[in-house]
Amino acid sequence: MEGAEEELERRSKFLKSLIQKKKTIEQQEQHDHLQHNNVRVRACDMPLPLQSRAFRCARDLLDSMPPKKLDSKRLALTLKKEFDSSYGPAWHCIVGTSFGSYVTHSLGGFVYFSIDKVYVLLFKTAVEPLDHS
Amino acid sequence: MSEEAKKNFVGALTARPTSDDQKQAPALNVPPKKVIIKSADMIPDMQKEAVDIAVAAFERYNVEKDVAEQIKKEFDKRHGPTWHCIVGRNFAQYSQLAPAQYYKVGCDVDIQGSYVTHETNHFVYFYLDQKAVLLFKSG
Repeated sequence: MEGAEEELERRSKFLKSLIQKKKTIEQQEQHDHLQHNNVRVRACDMPLPLQSRAFRCARDLLDSMPPKKLDSKRLALTLKKEFDSSYGPAWHCIVGTSFGSYVTHSLGGFVYFSIDKVYVLLFKTAVEPLDHS
Repeated sequence: MSEEAKKNFVGALTARPTSDDQKQAPALNVPPKKVIIKSADMIPDMQKEAVDIAVAAFERYNVEKDVAEQIKKEFDKRHGPTWHCIVGRNFAQYSQLAPAQYYKVGCDVDIQGSYVTHETNHFVYFYLDQKAVLLFKSG
């Protein structure tokens, strides 16, 4: 009996250790990724994969634009369309250097980050059928 | 003579501020904010309501986020959830309606720096002096 309990405890500790290591690695990878892309997360309620998708999309588009010429509309359009098609409607995206906002978003569908010198607000709202009356 | 001249000069100086103050008194009245509706898919009464609430919010708050909060909450209260509000100087400079692409909630509206999906008949985008206000309903 004591042997069994010790074995269970040992396994439990091992699993916890594994989980912690995985989390640490993931966080480190995320941090490295952000640093490399000059991205800073200001506020967030979004799974990591979606975050990474947004950052990569923004980075790629900004890199393809002429230096020192920001096309906020195109960035907002691109992000919104990509997320609408990949994760379902309806996403909303606001891009700029000087704005404040107040919105209600779906769970797990919100990220506010800065990349280079521009700020990006991306959030999702619930979708309801149109009233045809 | 020179001393008397100086005294008179000083006297003249003291008189001017008084008259200037009197003249400036009427100018203290702040002129009404200039309102420009850039784009709207909203009934006129609701548009006016949005503008009035925004004007009041700008008088009360200095931070754009607080202004946006006030407007959004007021509309959630009066016209049901869920509204979204963005306020600022550099997120929109002009607006245009993109070719309509329908989702369940209506059509997209393309605004410089912003791209949103809104419910039909619940969208307004206007300027109050130098600040832009984007208010729409979705969800």
